[in-house]
Amino acid sequence: MKSAVNCKIIEILNLSDNQLIKLSRNNVLSLSIEEMREIQKYFEKLKINPTDIEIETIAQAWSEHCKHKTLTGIIEYTEYADVQTKRTYNNLLKETIFKATVELNKKWCLSVFKDNAGVIEFDSKNGVAFKVETHNHPSALEPYGGSATGIGGAIRDILGVGLGAKPLANTDVFCFGDPNTKAYKIPEGMHHPKRIAKSVVSGVRDYGNRMGIPTVNGAVYFDDGYMANPLVYCGTMGIIPKNKIEKKVNSEDLILVVGGRTGRDGIHGATFSSIQLDQESDVSAVQIGNPIIEKKVLDAMLKARDLNLYRAVTDCGAGGLSSAVGELGEKTGVVVYLDKVPLKYSGLSPWEIWISEAQERMVFVVPPKNKNRIVEIFEKENVEAVFIGKFTRDKKLTLKYNNDVIASMDMEFLHNGVPKPTRYAVYKIKEEKLQKPVKMSVGEISKALKALLSDLNICSKEWIIRQYDHEVQGQTVVKPLQGNNIGISGPGDAAVIFPYTVIKGTKKGIVLSNGLNPQYGKINTYKMAASVIEESLRNAAAVGADIEKVAVLDNFCWGNPNKPEILGSLVRAANACYDMSKAFDIPFISGKDSLNNEYSIGGKKYSIPPALLISAVGVIEDVSKTVTMPLKNKDNKIFLIGITRNELGGSVFAKINNIKDGVVPDVYPKESKDIMKKIYRAINKNLIESCHDCSEGGFAVAVSEMAFAAGKGVVINTDAVKTEDVSMSPAEILFSESNGRFIVEVKHKNEFKFQEIFKGAVFAEVGYVGDNENIVFESKKNKIKVKENAENLLKIWQSTLNW
Amino acid sequence: MFKIEILMKKGYKNSHGEHILSDICGIGIKNITKVEYSPLYVIDGDISSVETETIAAELLSDKITETYTVNSCSQTNCGQSLPSKPAINNSMNCIVEVWYKKGVTDTVSGSVVKAVKDLGISKKIEVKTGHKYYLHGKISQTILNKIVIKLLANTLIQEYKIK
Repeated sequence: MKSAVNCKIIEILNLSDNQLIKLSRNNVLSLSIEEMREIQKYFEKLKINPTDIEIETIAQAWSEHCKHKTLTGIIEYTEYADVQTKRTYNNLLKETIFKATVELNKKWCLSVFKDNAGVIEFDSKNGVAFKVETHNHPSALEPYGGSATGIGGAIRDILGVGLGAKPLANTDVFCFGDPNTKAYKIPEGMHHPKRIAKSVVSGVRDYGNRMGIPTVNGAVYFDDGYMANPLVYCGTMGIIPKNKIEKKVNSEDLILVVGGRTGRDGIHGATFSSIQLDQESDVSAVQIGNPIIEKKVLDAMLKARDLNLYRAVTDCGAGGLSSAVGELGEKTGVVVYLDKVPLKYSGLSPWEIWISEAQERMVFVVPPKNKNRIVEIFEKENVEAVFIGKFTRDKKLTLKYNNDVIASMDMEFLHNGVPKPTRYAVYKIKEEKLQKPVKMSVGEISKALKALLSDLNICSKEWIIRQYDHEVQGQTVVKPLQGNNIGISGPGDAAVIFPYTVIKGTKKGIVLSNGLNPQYGKINTYKMAASVIEESLRNAAAVGADIEKVAVLDNFCWGNPNKPEILGSLVRAANACYDMSKAFDIPFISGKDSLNNEYSIGGKKYSIPPALLISAVGVIEDVSKTVTMPLKNKDNKIFLIGITRNELGGSVFAKINNIKDGVVPDVYPKESKDIMKKIYRAINKNLIESCHDCSEGGFAVAVSEMAFAAGKGVVINTDAVKTEDVSMSPAEILFSESNGRFIVEVKHKNEFKFQEIFKGAVFAEVGYVGDNENIVFESKKNKIKVKENAENLLKIWQSTLNW
Repeated sequence: MFKIEILMKKGYKNSHGEHILSDICGIGIKNITKVEYSPLYVIDGDISSVETETIAAELLSDKITETYTVNSCSQTNCGQSLPSKPAINNSMNCIVEVWYKKGVTDTVSGSVVKAVKDLGISKKIEVKTGHKYYLHGKISQTILNKIVIKLLANTLIQEYKIK
């Protein structure tokens, strides 16, 4: 039955363990010995050797990228603190992040963790879909193509949620190595971090701009740990009618593949992302994007969606057709005629067609009666659309090539046959010691402030932001850079989209923000995870979001999970996600993990510093109430809300001044949630003129940004700041990165009402907007007065990253 | 088979070239004084030189700021022929051409094929796109290789030729 049309029979039945491992390695299958044995057992039962395409299909379906084997597998976790504790996780994801969402059970979460993106309610008729993905390995090899296809894939996830959402905005977050690294220090075969950074930015720019989707929010983080393994997170948010959220697949429905043609691009991308990078990484794993095709697919498919011509859709991502069709047909069974798939060039073997990750392809489930109408719509937009098979009732995956059956497997085995691995995780909780008191003179504080503002992780990212079109579609109301004019601006906390062209007559907006801080994770991944969750919420709250209507996405980028310490730090972070989700009452709606971010230089292996990106999305009742961060008018009062603690651990200040000790900022959910809710109430009553959160660089950096973004001065009395520990020095007060703090500007006439709202929270009046351009920090107690010029500080902030 | 090169007219800024120059300075190489960039297209198929001229003039170049050259070439020398007139300056030291490796998706070429059809030329053609860099200044072969590998070509998906 199994004839060889460019199709080989793979001997597996009589192989020894060693030979099985060799087979997996030689064919880039990335399957473990346990998995290979399971496959052997399956085919032993059938008494037949598999074809190459069958083996490849299993490898794709069981890849870390598609199955998330580590996070859903068994983990034996041991924690060492004062006492040793042990815990077994049967499915880390289900027992932490997902569990919190289930327990919170928010009615306004319309689709969580099951589709290509998470969906929350926008209004009575529409939902907001949001998804963030990583594209790290391809971006290390071909930064331009890798990042372009990264954003292309995130957009397709939004097109492939439910029956398709209309994309409204993109976000991007990158981690790169130090761009100032001397060229000779770059390992052989790797690109220089600056080249990676420039090309990654160009890739996202060219794809996003050509798709006509604004890139509105993001972050860039520099650390040497990402030199050979950059992190590229791309996200897309879209709007979807509530009645288009559910997918359905019926037997006899047809499979329609739409968009780009299939070539040899990105073969083994899914299995490749599950292995570590080295000099000889696979060439064909590189994908090249074509935004023009994707734009046409977008336009045509939304038309077909509104005419109800299909029952389900998904995108071809990792694993290509094999994953997309395999997942759609999981419950029914499917037969695919691979010779019908349109190709870029001839000469592809059937297995290559089946698993190719050629870009810009979507798969539709079409009832037979709509066969002609749907193709007509795609043809009108010059989009290729070809039927390649149909859904059956036999619960089997059947692949044919020129009428020969070349693969026939049970869906049950393919989707649920993967053995659960058991991994071991350990974590030693490090004791964090308070640093020696930081005593600084006026000159030293000035110097530190300037060094912070020009630090790569605080400085202006204008060079990147201005390359993106953040205005296209005309709905970006709170923008990434905020200030007086194009030359004078500061960093916005979050972006707000006002989707008035899609939803006529609406007053509502959609807020997007993020939190990321790998520096904390080097000391304590629990606090890192808690901090970035809080930061993403704080950012959203700062522009006027109601955190009762905010949901978050998780994106874990970690090193090699086979190393118990690395997996242990991941378990800690996942636990922080559960704790914070419950404490803040904030559900996770979607997420993704990219593990094995490890690379080797000269035979030595390095794992990246663990990075958890939290992306928040929320619905704002009235966009006209939102606020920005630049100061507005002289004499207005400045309040610092929240307690300043002696928390310099992992801070940018500690890094610059080489301070080894210090406590990493913790999160106090009760205190901080109460403040966020009060901020929302005050903003809604128009009592706040400007608002900015304190994050990297602390209070001094945040106040300076508010001032120079407006070309204004500010006078701050550091003695007035409410601290937990009265002995904190001015430098510690100015540069501590304690979470949960906001700086707000209030008019004199609103002061009383403002104070009423904040009763019960810790806050203090700490200064006023000056009538000249001087930024002043004064402590009478310590006889210290730092005076800097706003324009001067702005220039320092702008000049670091000005390529 | 024809090779089309798009050149910037005298007096207009070659901004992509300037970007490359700043990148070269950025990796610590001082001796390059100027970089000029030209996009390249090879058009293969049953097509006349008049039609190729039309494609170059109407589709591939901007009439106000750019000019073009069209050279007939064979399979063997297409990637290698030097331009008949080197652009602008005579202190130029080397030329680098960068092309996609076989099998790598060339999205621009796809767009060109479609646009040529829209121009009313219905013959079946194949298109390859490339990049050409004129580097002015005195540098050694080693430094030149460094520039090419670090900045101009990603050898994973592209191949290059140095003149």
